[in-house]
Amino acid sequence: MKATSKIYPRDTMTAEERLQAVINLQVPDRVPVCPFIYNFAAKYAGITAHELWSEPAKYRAAINKCYMELGPWDIYYPANPRYPEVYTFIMPMKARWPGIDLPADSICQLLEEEIMKAEDYAWTSEVAGSWPSWAYFPFFLKMIARSWDHVEDGWKSWAYIAPRLLVHLAGWRREFDAFRKRGVAVLYGFLPEAAFDSFSLARGLLPFVRDCRDRPGEVARAADDLTESYYFITRLITLLMGVPRVEIFLHRSSNDFISPKTFAELSFPSLKRLVDKLVAAGISPVLHCDGNWDRNLEKLRELPAGNCVVQFDGPTDIFGAKQTIGDRMCIMGDVPADLFVLGSPTEVEEYCHRLIEGVGRGGGYIMGAGCEIPPNARPENVKAMIDSVEKYGYYS
Amino acid sequence: MGENIATLIAEVDEDGTLAGVRGALDGGVDPLVVVEALREGMSVVGERFEARDYYLPDLILSGDIFNQALALIEPLLAGAGAASKKPVVIGTVQGDVHDIGKNIVATMLRCAGYDVHDLGVDVPPSAFVDKARETGADLVALSGLLTLAFDSMKSTVEAFAEAGLRDSVKLIIGGGPVNEKVLEYCGADAYGKDPSAAVKLAERCLAQA
Repeated sequence: MKATSKIYPRDTMTAEERLQAVINLQVPDRVPVCPFIYNFAAKYAGITAHELWSEPAKYRAAINKCYMELGPWDIYYPANPRYPEVYTFIMPMKARWPGIDLPADSICQLLEEEIMKAEDYAWTSEVAGSWPSWAYFPFFLKMIARSWDHVEDGWKSWAYIAPRLLVHLAGWRREFDAFRKRGVAVLYGFLPEAAFDSFSLARGLLPFVRDCRDRPGEVARAADDLTESYYFITRLITLLMGVPRVEIFLHRSSNDFISPKTFAELSFPSLKRLVDKLVAAGISPVLHCDGNWDRNLEKLRELPAGNCVVQFDGPTDIFGAKQTIGDRMCIMGDVPADLFVLGSPTEVEEYCHRLIEGVGRGGGYIMGAGCEIPPNARPENVKAMIDSVEKYGYYS
Repeated sequence: MGENIATLIAEVDEDGTLAGVRGALDGGVDPLVVVEALREGMSVVGERFEARDYYLPDLILSGDIFNQALALIEPLLAGAGAASKKPVVIGTVQGDVHDIGKNIVATMLRCAGYDVHDLGVDVPPSAFVDKARETGADLVALSGLLTLAFDSMKSTVEAFAEAGLRDSVKLIIGGGPVNEKVLEYCGADAYGKDPSAAVKLAERCLAQA
């Protein structure tokens, strides 16, 4: 089901058409807005973060309240896990969860612990050699088993995660349909962490830094060997979800974590191979680029033009990025977290106006927060960001 | 000798630095001279990081090399020089369990010669106050990655005021979203954008203390 109705009376495109236009670097009728709302919804709706992730009906009510009172917006940014273990299925790290080992009104926090061993690179390559399309599963199931005491390793972990994954996907699909019925486009249908970045998260920072120094070939090879499976799983899930887009998390490839040289030599090759395959299959990648990417931007120019979105969260010079890669990729972001929390609606509006004028020039831009809108954001600031596209975002 | 060790750690040469330290100690070089050489090298690492010639992995690895070298040296120091180390208290504020940045800053401060008391993560305001009192620290470093940490930083600053220590203890903040606006909100004394800046900030604050 595709989005059909208009978001604002002056619109001449549907939200889906607008999203496709900016991804293809065409000039749409208006700058689209895509607020990454998750934990904020709980606080705004007066429920706990524990209720938000553990009770889907309360999540739906909370996000609907945001949409009705602070929206409308063009693009739904799905980020709600149905089960904590499914979260590990895309981000291989131990975590503390509200209502489990954190207070119910806290937010999920990831722990920097070594759950992947050095010998797992070779094991991953070996598995990928035997099951190139399915290697994603054994790798992530192993990480899930090592992250959660109640999940056993091997096929038992598959028996544990498979039904939960299916429930999660079915739930997302229903939510996607509900948003599409009100004319809202859905940003993506699946959100894996890139292979190189997954290794960094699962190994922990110091061991991974040593791996990149002592066994770079193994790291790059294992990331590359997983590409076929990333592609296969992504294609399968985006097909099931009916959304021809995928978000690829790159939490550990910024200049804050690795040098541009390491990015070019160890992270980018498998990323490019995956992006090339996805684009050839008609799937647009949304690269979630947390941290400072200033010195990686030239490399991103090697990705297919007019088919990718790159999302920045503040540290990257988004205005400079427009100059460097604006002719190749759609840019999304980057209203800073601190501005949502400590700024005034006027300050947010002024910043959004600058984004629209600077980064939105000539199309290829999606208004959004720098990563997730923080839970303690002032609601009037969230509204100021969303409203800015109607106020300043029309191209004619 | 000292110059060689300084160069080796500045080049993030793990095997070379540790071999150099072992050789110097076996050769009867004063352990304090070796420590000074290591610090000199770490200072170069910090400069190269600031100049963006080095990146986080270089900081992490050189910090780890420094800690390994210090483990070789410490048994020979027998308390020498400990009295001259300035105590610093560090921790991730209440409600936040992120520790990558905090750990790196703690290591950099240790490398710069501070006596670092790391309280870990999710640290309540009272624990910062208690540890500052216990150690006589003039500097307390508060870390946080989440915007939820802003209020915890503010509460911690207020706790120092309530304890009557606000004028005698400098409070610095750091972490992903921290900037001038957050500093103003929390009422701390200064903020650092990266681990290397933290060391300079500490020097500056303690010079004013």
